[in-house]
Amino acid sequence: MDMRRVVRQGLIGGLTLSLIVAVGMFQVFDGRKVIDPYLSAGYALILWVPILFGYRATRQVVPDGAERRPASSTDILAGAIAGAITGLLLGLVVVITALKPDIRNSFLYLSPVMVEKFSYGGTHWLGAGILTAAGAVLGAFGGAMDLIPTTVKRILATVAATLIGFNFAELVVGDILRSAGQNTLDRWIYSSTRGINPLAAVVLSVIAVALRLGLRGRSGGLRERFGNGDNERTDNGKRMRYLVIAVVALAAGAWLPNLFGLYLNEVLSNVGLFILLGLGLNIVVGYAGLLDLGYVAFFAVGAYTTAILTSPASPALAPELAFFASLPWVLVMAAIAGLIIGTPVIRMRGDYLAIVTLGFGEIIRIAFLSDWMKPITGGAQGILRIGFFPGESRGGIILQWGMALAVIGIIALIVGLLRWNSSRISASGLTDIPEYHKPTTYALLVVGLVLTVGGFIKPDFATWVIPGIHPPSMFRIILVFVALAAFVSWRLRDSRVGRSWMAIREDEQIAQSMGINIVTTKLLAFVMGAMLASLGGALFAVKLGSIYPHSFEIIQSIIILVVVIVGGMGSIKGVMIGAVVLIGILGGPTQPGLLREFGEFKLLIYGVILVWMMLKRPEGLWPEARRAQELHQDEMSQDAWLQAGESAAEGVSG
Amino acid sequence: MTEERTPLLEFKDVNTYYGPVHILKDVNLKIYPGEIVCLLGGNASGKSTTLKTILGMVIPSSGTVYIDGHDVTKWTTSQRVEHGISMVPENRRLFKRMTVKENLEIGAYLRKDKENLQADMERIFELFPRVKERLNQKAGTLSGGEQQMVAVGRALMSNPKLLLMDEPSMGLAPILVAQSFEIIQQIHEAGTSVFVVEQNANMALSIADRGYVLQTGQLVLSDTAEALLANPQMRQAYLGEVS
Repeated sequence: MDMRRVVRQGLIGGLTLSLIVAVGMFQVFDGRKVIDPYLSAGYALILWVPILFGYRATRQVVPDGAERRPASSTDILAGAIAGAITGLLLGLVVVITALKPDIRNSFLYLSPVMVEKFSYGGTHWLGAGILTAAGAVLGAFGGAMDLIPTTVKRILATVAATLIGFNFAELVVGDILRSAGQNTLDRWIYSSTRGINPLAAVVLSVIAVALRLGLRGRSGGLRERFGNGDNERTDNGKRMRYLVIAVVALAAGAWLPNLFGLYLNEVLSNVGLFILLGLGLNIVVGYAGLLDLGYVAFFAVGAYTTAILTSPASPALAPELAFFASLPWVLVMAAIAGLIIGTPVIRMRGDYLAIVTLGFGEIIRIAFLSDWMKPITGGAQGILRIGFFPGESRGGIILQWGMALAVIGIIALIVGLLRWNSSRISASGLTDIPEYHKPTTYALLVVGLVLTVGGFIKPDFATWVIPGIHPPSMFRIILVFVALAAFVSWRLRDSRVGRSWMAIREDEQIAQSMGINIVTTKLLAFVMGAMLASLGGALFAVKLGSIYPHSFEIIQSIIILVVVIVGGMGSIKGVMIGAVVLIGILGGPTQPGLLREFGEFKLLIYGVILVWMMLKRPEGLWPEARRAQELHQDEMSQDAWLQAGESAAEGVSG
Repeated sequence: MTEERTPLLEFKDVNTYYGPVHILKDVNLKIYPGEIVCLLGGNASGKSTTLKTILGMVIPSSGTVYIDGHDVTKWTTSQRVEHGISMVPENRRLFKRMTVKENLEIGAYLRKDKENLQADMERIFELFPRVKERLNQKAGTLSGGEQQMVAVGRALMSNPKLLLMDEPSMGLAPILVAQSFEIIQQIHEAGTSVFVVEQNANMALSIADRGYVLQTGQLVLSDTAEALLANPQMRQAYLGEVS
C-alpha cells in the first residue's frame, strides 16, 4: 500500500467534495429526487466521490510488460482510508461552518441549513463522524473494485446508469409518454416531485440489467458486421449511405417536435441554433485552424440586420420586410462584416489572432450599444417586435412559397457550383473527390437559376404563417437551416478550398509556397463562418422577437467554441453531438437545458468538461477520423515503431 | 555559358529588408535553363531570404526579379508558382497529418492541365518507387529519407521549370545526404533547372555547374563550380581548410 498515494487521493477527494458543497451544488440538487424519496440528486452527486478516490488510491501504475500485482484485501483498507479522509474533510467543513458561522460571508451556501442537513439529527460532531464513516465504507467499496467480479460491476454500472439516465431524461420520457397517451405509465414511473418511484426504479433496473446481460453475447457480432462497412474507402456506396442517414435523420428531426411539449421544443430549438452556429465556427476553427474568439460579432450582425429590416418598431429604416426577404441582406451584411473584420486580422497568427478577434467581438457589441449607433440599433433598449406580422401583435416567419422556391434555387445553384468546382480537381483522377455526373451538375445550375429568378419575381404566390413563439415550428425551420449548413460544410470540406484550408492549418508558409493564396483562402473561411453565424442570428432574433446588445456577450463566443471543441474540431457530427450534450443537457449561456438545476453551475460544469476533455480526449467526443489520428499520431507511430522492432526481433530469432 | 539566352531567373540589384534590417544588398544573380546553380553561405547570410524573394513571399524594396524574361517583382507567389517555380523547403516540412497522396495533390494545386497529372505522378513514382508504396500513409509517419522524396515529389507536381532546394542536406544522415544530391542530379537530367541553397559547400559544388557565395547579404564570389572548388579564399572560408 502506497500511503502517500492514499493520503493524496483522499485529500483531493475531500477537496472535490467540499467544493461541491461550498458552491451549493449539493444543496440545489438535493431538492431533486433520483429515487423518491430515498435518494436525492444531491447525494448522487457526492456519493461517487469517495468511491472514485478510494479506487484511485489503489490503482497501480503498471509499466508496460511488468506483472500486475493481484488485487488484495489491503486494497480495501487503502480505499477505506482514502474514503475516510475524503469524508473527514467534508465533516471538517461542516464543523467549521457550525463553529464559525461568519464563513457564510464568503461562501453563501455554507449555512446553518447545510450544517443541519449533515448533522443527521444530532450535533455537527456526530455529522462529521457519520460522514467520515460513510466515506470509509464507500472508499472501501471503491478500493475493492478490482476484487469484484466483472459481472457484478457491470450490473451495478447498468443500474446506476439507468436510474440516473431516466432521472435526467425525465422531461423527455415524460413528454413522450404523455404524448403517447400513457399518462398512467408516466405517473407510475415518476413521482409528483418528478423523481423515480422506488418500485419503478427496481423494475427499470431489472429490465436494464436483463437487456445488458442478454445483449452482451450478441454485441460482438454486431460490431463486426458494422465494422466491415466502415473499412470501405470513400466511394459512391459511402456517399449513398451518408445521404440515406441524412434524410432519415432529417425526417426524424422534423417529426420529433410532435413528441415533446413546449419546453422541450424550446430546448430543441436552442440546440439547433447552436449546431448552426457551431457549424459556422467549425469552418473557421476546425477547417482553417483560425482561432476566432469574436465569432458572436457575426451572430449579432445577423440578428440586428433581421431586426432592423423586419421590425415595425426599428428606430431607423423599418422597411418591415418579411423574414425570408431579410435573409439575403443578412448574408450580405455578414459577408461585409466578415471582410471588414477579417482583412486586418487575417495576417495575424495563433494567439494574436485570438486576441484581436476577441477585441473585435466586443467592439461590435459596444458599437451596437453606443449612443452613436442608437438611432439605428436602439442602444440598450434594443429592438422589439421583430418580424411582427402586419397589423398583428405577434411575430414570426411568413413562409412565402415563391421565396422558399428561390431559396431552394439558390441551394441548387450553390450545389451545382460546388460540384462544378470540384469536378475541376477530380478530372485529374488523382483525388478521392469523385467526378460528378456532368449533365446533373448543369441541370442543377439551370434549375437553380430558374427557381431563383422565378421566386424573386413572384415571391408570394402562396404563404404559410409560422408564429415565432411556437417552438415546434421554429425548430423545424431551424432544422432546415442546420441541414443546409451541414451540407455546405460537408461539401466544402472535400472541395479544393477545403483542401487548401487543411494545408493552411497544417503549415501556412508551405501552403503559400505551393501557390495557395493565403489571404483570400483564409478570408473565405472567415466569410463562410460569418454567413452561417448570421443566419443563426436572424433565426435567434425572430424566435425571441426582441434583441438587446447584452444578448451578444463574449460568453456566447466562448460557449460556441466549447461546443465545437467538445464535439470535435473539424467534425460535422461532432458539432451536433457537442451541441446536444452541452446545450441540450446543460443549457446554453442564457437558455435552460434538460436539467434546469444546473442553472448557475453551468459554467463550472463547462469548465470541468473542457479541462477533462483536453486531458483525456482532446480530439472531441465524435471526431473526424483524420483529426483523431492527428492527435494520437505520436502514440501510433510509436506503436508502429515498437511493432516493427518486435517483428524484426522475431525475424532474427526465428 | 551562352550569355545570349534568356535567364530562367534573374536578380537585378535586389535589396530586401525585414523592417529596418537590410538583408539582401544589391544581389545580382542569373540562372539559365538546364543549369544546376548553388548558393553557398553561412548562417544568417540571407540564403533563405533569397529563396523567399524568388517566390515572392518577401518583396524586395528595390531591384527587379525576372522569371523567363518577365518582370515578376510585383507578382504574387501563386503567379510565380504558376510560372514554373517550385520549392522544396528546408527540413522538408510536409503536411504531416495528410497522406502522401494529399501532399502531392497540394503540390499540383495550381495546375491547369489536370489531364497530365496522372502521368506526372507516375514519373515521380518512377523516380521514387518508395513513394508509391507509401501513398495512403500519413506523411508524418515516414522516415526522414522518405519524407525528402515526398517533399521533392510535391514540388515536382507543379511541373516546375526551376526547382528551388533549401538546404537539402539539413537533418539527414550522411548516406541520405548523398542520396539527396543524387536525386537532384536525376531531376536535372530529366530537364528541370535546379537552384540549391546549401551550407554543405563541398557536396553542393560537386554537382553544380556554377555557384554563388553569399556573405551577410552580399554576393562575394560568383564562378563555375570547378573554379570555386579551387578558389583559395573559398577553400578557407567554407571548406574548412586551414591555410
